[in-house]
Amino acid sequence: MTRAPIQGPAVTLVIGSGSVKCAAAIGVVKALSDVGIGIDRVVGCSGGALFAAGVAMGFDAATMADITVRTWTRRVTSKRNRMGFLRLLAPRLFGFKAESFGLRDDAPMLAAFRAVFGDQRIEDTPIPLHITATDFQNGELVEITRGDLVEAIRASASLPLAFAPVKLGDRLLIDGYMADPLPVSVAMKSGSRVIVAVGFESPYQSNIRSAGRFAAQLSAILANNLLRSRLAFQSAAHHGEMILILPEFKQRVGLFDTSKVPYLIQEGEQAALQQLPYLHALLNAERERLEAVTA
Amino acid sequence: MQINITQHDTIFVLAITGSIDSLNADELSQGFAASIAQGHVRLVADFSLVNYTSSAGLRSLLGTVKSCRLAGGDLRMASVQPQVQRVLDIAGFTSILNIFPDVRHAVESFTEAA
Repeated sequence: MTRAPIQGPAVTLVIGSGSVKCAAAIGVVKALSDVGIGIDRVVGCSGGALFAAGVAMGFDAATMADITVRTWTRRVTSKRNRMGFLRLLAPRLFGFKAESFGLRDDAPMLAAFRAVFGDQRIEDTPIPLHITATDFQNGELVEITRGDLVEAIRASASLPLAFAPVKLGDRLLIDGYMADPLPVSVAMKSGSRVIVAVGFESPYQSNIRSAGRFAAQLSAILANNLLRSRLAFQSAAHHGEMILILPEFKQRVGLFDTSKVPYLIQEGEQAALQQLPYLHALLNAERERLEAVTA
Repeated sequence: MQINITQHDTIFVLAITGSIDSLNADELSQGFAASIAQGHVRLVADFSLVNYTSSAGLRSLLGTVKSCRLAGGDLRMASVQPQVQRVLDIAGFTSILNIFPDVRHAVESFTEAA
């Protein structure tokens, strides 16, 4: 599919991992769109992949909010994978296999994603879309720009231990946040100059009284340190401008707190509105620079 | 963005006002570079009136810190506001920058180290 070049000022949007909190990106897109700033490319990781896909499809804020409420529910993780538990408890007896190990059945999640996106292919989205995942064999960041959209989102959101890795081509893929929770590098490699990056820190556990919360705390420590170190490198290396939007939520937001979606959107929109005066000035300067280069 | 320079013995304090972004980061880098070129490599950046910094601002700080340290000095930060501190934190810059609660502490830190 040949995509029409975007008219007018535009930015590249990167949406990092952050489960339902990624709904804040809907507010960011709304704030940009309301003042005529387009999106020329979108990158999504883990929970952010779902929202990046919506942006790439050209869905408006109301549609994306509706998709979030319908797809990001507790139901998608409610079904246990019994064989996964048996393989965890008795790996030799039940034959442990990395490629199929997950404690939750992914069928409800796949059905929810398929109901929204059908058989959409990534290369056919109106706005160029990059979804990131992590290669289970070597930890490399994998950029998915072709193929079945639902499979790519599922791979990007393969929360370790909960959902089995996804086999795509000759790679076994796990959650994108394991390689980079906010993959700005993907936008940089594509040549994007003005990047709006919407990122989220993983919440630390306040009351650790189970192995699950203990594991969540370890994961949050690693993810947040990875976020900082990757951003440090990318900030130093970027040839253009990266505008970080890091919404801070005063209300506690659970993994599947879809009742908070309107609040998340509002917070994302407010955070983006604060950046608009600078973004306008920056995009004007970019336009003048390009006109000078092409004159 | 405005830069106001004052001297405290051998230490130059650059009080910056406004946002630091790609539209003015070069100006800031040049302000720092002018001080370094004159041999003033013990610098304090007073951030009490800086309300925003983008990745371009971070690159300007990083370049100046490297130049100062290569010449045996340092760029130290003072009075960083919470919204800027958050950007420095999440971009990992607090692990390599010396940050002080106010200009006096930042200036005194050079004397203590000497």
